Amino acid sequence: MRALCWNGINDLRVETVGDPGIVNPHDVVLKVTMSTTCGSDLHFIDGYIPTMRAGDVIGHEFMGEVVDVGRDVKKVKKGDRVVVPSFICCGSCWYCQHDLYSLCDNTNPKAELQEPVFGYPTAGIYGYTHAFGGYAGAHAQYVRVPHADTDCFQVPEGLRDEQVIFLSDAVPTGYMGADFCNIHPGDTVAVWGCGGVGLMAQKSAFLLGAQRVIGIDRFPERLKMAREQVGAETLNYEEVDSVLEVLKELTGGRGPDACIDAVGMEAHGTGVEYAYDRAKQALHLHSDRGDALRQAILACRKGGTLSILGVYGVMDKFPIGVILNKGLTVRTAQQHGQKYLPRLLEHVTKGELDPSFLATHRLPLEDAPRGYELFKKKQDGCVRAVFLPN
Amino acid sequence: MADKPLESSTPSSRSARGAQPPSGGSAEWEWHDIETTERHASAEVRRTYDLDDGRRMKQLASAMLGGALLSLGLKSRSLGGLAVALAGGGLIYQGALGRTLARRVPGIEGFRSLRTLGRRRSVEAGAGTGRAVLERSITIQKPGHELYRAWRVAENLSKVMGHFAEVTTVGPDLQHWKVRGPLGRSFEWDSHIVEEHPGEFLRWESMPGAELPNEGQVRFRPAPADWGTVVTLRLRFSPPGGALGDAAMKLLGQVPTALAHTALRRFKSLVETGEIATTRPNPAAREGGYSY
Ligand SMILES: [Zn+2]
Ligand SMILES: [Zn+2]
Repeated sequence: MRALCWNGINDLRVETVGDPGIVNPHDVVLKVTMSTTCGSDLHFIDGYIPTMRAGDVIGHEFMGEVVDVGRDVKKVKKGDRVVVPSFICCGSCWYCQHDLYSLCDNTNPKAELQEPVFGYPTAGIYGYTHAFGGYAGAHAQYVRVPHADTDCFQVPEGLRDEQVIFLSDAVPTGYMGADFCNIHPGDTVAVWGCGGVGLMAQKSAFLLGAQRVIGIDRFPERLKMAREQVGAETLNYEEVDSVLEVLKELTGGRGPDACIDAVGMEAHGTGVEYAYDRAKQALHLHSDRGDALRQAILACRKGGTLSILGVYGVMDKFPIGVILNKGLTVRTAQQHGQKYLPRLLEHVTKGELDPSFLATHRLPLEDAPRGYELFKKKQDGCVRAVFLPN
Repeated sequence: MADKPLESSTPSSRSARGAQPPSGGSAEWEWHDIETTERHASAEVRRTYDLDDGRRMKQLASAMLGGALLSLGLKSRSLGGLAVALAGGGLIYQGALGRTLARRVPGIEGFRSLRTLGRRRSVEAGAGTGRAVLERSITIQKPGHELYRAWRVAENLSKVMGHFAEVTTVGPDLQHWKVRGPLGRSFEWDSHIVEEHPGEFLRWESMPGAELPNEGQVRFRPAPADWGTVVTLRLRFSPPGGALGDAAMKLLGQVPTALAHTALRRFKSLVETGEIATTRPNPAAREGGYSY
């Protein structure tokens, strides 16, 4: 089959690789109908995350049609059209049973690579470094999905792929970030970042009852999306002297009740960002990202909630004392997608949520390297590029 | 287990922010010595090893775990095989010289130093006795009696140990073990069950005359609340003097800890989910279209 492979730093190529098959009894194989880029991919594409190997198939946000089914799969059937969260989850361990899916104990076959960094290994991810299991990714014609009964979600009839594809990652991540905020009527939620996850966090905050949502970014086309597609108020941080002062004024001097950080690597952690100094030198973004989190901590009202979806490694000068003195609640996680998918599909079916506007660019798989280029450089207003592998 | 880390011969400034500046935009990363990865040594270890030995152990471990990655790059069949390969090969000496090997690994981008990984030492070793005792625990979401039964199923045991040994059952209480060694060499022995408390405890020993005498035990105890059962695997290897040597002894004292840990993790996955997570085979643009 054809697949998008990482061959080294900034060297993505579509190549011919072996077809996946059923390996374990709870596997299915999907014919991928759509996959999408993710900001977190950029970090290993750029070489800032170790444990990639030349020739790895990448991509972790996808949907498709079931073409082969393992012998112990009970619910999923051949021909089903499904969307799959990016974390591979067993459904049986203590974490899965407590809705903490991205912390699954049983799906990282290379746990020994990750455990020294996190203390305990987390769930595996498709196409996202060997520390996260080394599973082949989904920018490919076919992909193997383990634990299909836990990880495949039937797409209701009548929905287009673009309406569903982002339920693989950006939507559940954003929704979880808003869910962390324990939103009450009348609440104002500020969201740093208007990429896929940030926009979905804003939309979700409304769905969960926020009265006002404020989106913060610097790209005009993304801020426009926040206003027009989500109904958020927006703030271009490059156009104001002080984000803190503006947020204060917008909230009667109190500050937002909850602040969501959806900046940077979008939703996927690597945890191997510990070479912080190096990253800071190499990635000019890094101080921006640190600034966003510090800004959110400062701007949040006393006793409010800080919900962190952006991924950080070790951050120096982290203002923990501010969090303490303001009595903030900090919530954070990688997406527990399997917990949220049923209700998200319901929102989409009822027309309450339509994330399809994120798909600004639609390309055949053969053009995926160009898709990543557009996405990375945010050229031509690219928010997300989606690929059609078949 | 004791409550204090073994001496730290690594300068504390290496913690968390010890990265050297990037060398010409290279993708290589320094993995940092993160405090949380500091494993605790037993009182016995602290008594047994003086500082020099401790440092040497660390270097060995560094070489070894660099080697664990090497196993990925070189398609070594198993970590266990590698452990024995290291014991018999020259890698051990490079480790002892204080260099790390990972930077030479061609297949894995970005690993340069794995001193962090090298800090593991949940090992007890008796000085001069030529023995290493290794113990690891894991918590599994199942009742103890169920886990005990699963452990006694021959087919399960061979799956669980499959990452380093071929285990076949040759009698009701008798297993044959075959561990792949360096240069095509392998260690084999028969082990028999010597103590058994159904639902709680099982102990086995290699038969007299084994080339690498060893014994093992597994214990099942209830975990708090709804966590299930704590499973503790303890392995003891007693290489005869001369056969593997003192340094190899220490090395063996380390690697089987990882082996025990991996075996427990595989057991947990098997009993909780009915399968063991794997990426073999995995589509990739190398090695003929499949890799892992
Ligand atoms: Zn993603
Ligand atoms: Zn699980």
